[in-house]
Amino acid sequence: MLMIQNVTKRYDDKTEALKDISMIIPGGACYGLVGPNGAGKSTLIKMITSIIRDYKGKIEWNENRITDKTKQKLGYVPQDIILEEDISAAGNLQLFGRLYHLKGSRLNQRVKEVLALIGLSERSKDKVSTFSGGMKRRLNIGCALMHNPELIIMDEPTVGIDPQSRKYIFQMIDDLKTAGKTVIYASHYMEEVEKLCDYVAFLDQGEMIENGAINELLQQYAVPSIYIKGSGIPQDKLEQYGTVSLEDGAFILYTEEALQAMERIISYCRENRIGVERLELVHPRLEDVFFRLTGSSLRD
Amino acid sequence: MNAMMIVELKKHLQDKGLAFWMLILPILFTVLFISIFTTGDNEAVNQEIIQSIVPGYIVMFVFFIMISMVQVFIKDRDRGMTARLASTPLKSYYYLLGKWLPFMYIVIIQIVVLFLFGKVVYDVSLGQPIILLILSLSIMFTVTAIGLALTLTVNTENMGIAITQVIALGGAMLSGLWIPLEMMPDFMQTIARFLPQYWAHQSFQDAMAGTTQASELLQTLGVLFAIGLAAFIIAIVRYPYFLKRAVN
Repeated sequence: MLMIQNVTKRYDDKTEALKDISMIIPGGACYGLVGPNGAGKSTLIKMITSIIRDYKGKIEWNENRITDKTKQKLGYVPQDIILEEDISAAGNLQLFGRLYHLKGSRLNQRVKEVLALIGLSERSKDKVSTFSGGMKRRLNIGCALMHNPELIIMDEPTVGIDPQSRKYIFQMIDDLKTAGKTVIYASHYMEEVEKLCDYVAFLDQGEMIENGAINELLQQYAVPSIYIKGSGIPQDKLEQYGTVSLEDGAFILYTEEALQAMERIISYCRENRIGVERLELVHPRLEDVFFRLTGSSLRD
Repeated sequence: MNAMMIVELKKHLQDKGLAFWMLILPILFTVLFISIFTTGDNEAVNQEIIQSIVPGYIVMFVFFIMISMVQVFIKDRDRGMTARLASTPLKSYYYLLGKWLPFMYIVIIQIVVLFLFGKVVYDVSLGQPIILLILSLSIMFTVTAIGLALTLTVNTENMGIAITQVIALGGAMLSGLWIPLEMMPDFMQTIARFLPQYWAHQSFQDAMAGTTQASELLQTLGVLFAIGLAAFIIAIVRYPYFLKRAVN
């Protein structure tokens, strides 16, 4: 279990990067950290991994402060691809393995295992500089897994990669979850967090707005919505049933009574001979929860 | 620390730029300047010039290791590797040592190769080889410590490279590596005594001629060690700031 208690980080220029953050991440959970750029996700991760040490508050992994000994149990996947480009994939894995005190046949065995896990066995001897972005991302993750950590902290691991590599990374994360690892997954892609994680914490401007189990948050905050596309549907008519927003030439109607509203809209359109291109019930998404909590979309 | 050293050595061995700065360029300069300054018929004078030029260019080009040091550390800082390594159990001072020691090895290899070149091609005298080795080790420490202090002090790579040029070329000129010191004005001769290049060059020449006295050797080693130690203290003071900048 990772416990973060009343954590505050202030930079030299007095900017508050994080304000009194507290959360508990249960062992074996996949925990999403969501927020726009500059929300404080990376800062919080750097504090958990002990890269940033000057902060107020307490961070503990299984009731132990993060020390060199505890670090042995943490694996960190940074947001940027940080690899030695002029050496091979295996060389990079060996470097990180050695940093975590692996050596000899155990190190070599682990390099083989991780290369297989990240799908780079065939390219093990090639220089990293010859790799595609997706391959580098996978190797970036592999370096964090060399010492078989209990807690894996991933900071935006899918930024700028192709769909195939993204899928590969998702599969790796699923495998880590199956193996009982605790995963912290920071992203501003809500759909990724919703797909992969059991819990989520929303960060915005250094503050934690809300956190908890994703299902519960969806139930608590997200309002079902209806997607309506067609010409001649008056907006004021839709506003009788709930809140309306416009998105790419279509209406999104947020309403607690979505099914009844749908029926009435269909009847209205039929009676008034209004053509409807598309009308569908939209399941609540994390994006909606964030919108409800902050009043703004993550993409704003 | 060994993990860092192994990777650094692998990278340095593949670095053609480093081979150029540290070996090819000094050899080219040595050949060029010897051919320019040894056109006279007097063989004894020519050999005296060679005995000065070979160690002179060794001392001058040894300082160019500082360029590679600046590049390696600043790149590590700016691309996030320093911060990445802070998340591992590697202690920050082992990181520093793991990066620093390979440069020491490069410098000692450079000095040995350039002396061997001088011996094979120009038959320079290596009268007191053990003393030459001791001096080389001392220079290795001093130069890389200055490089470390510079690296951990400058903000940008360009600034580091510019200051290296001033130290290497300015120091070479003032220390009599290009022109015999006796031909320079008195105040410049006085300045030279504060520069590591002067002590290294003079002592190399004495050891090559086989005339080094124990007191002179101790004096040179003391001066070089003091300069190196001062630089190392600056580096230690600056290191936390470097780390802070790397992680934020």
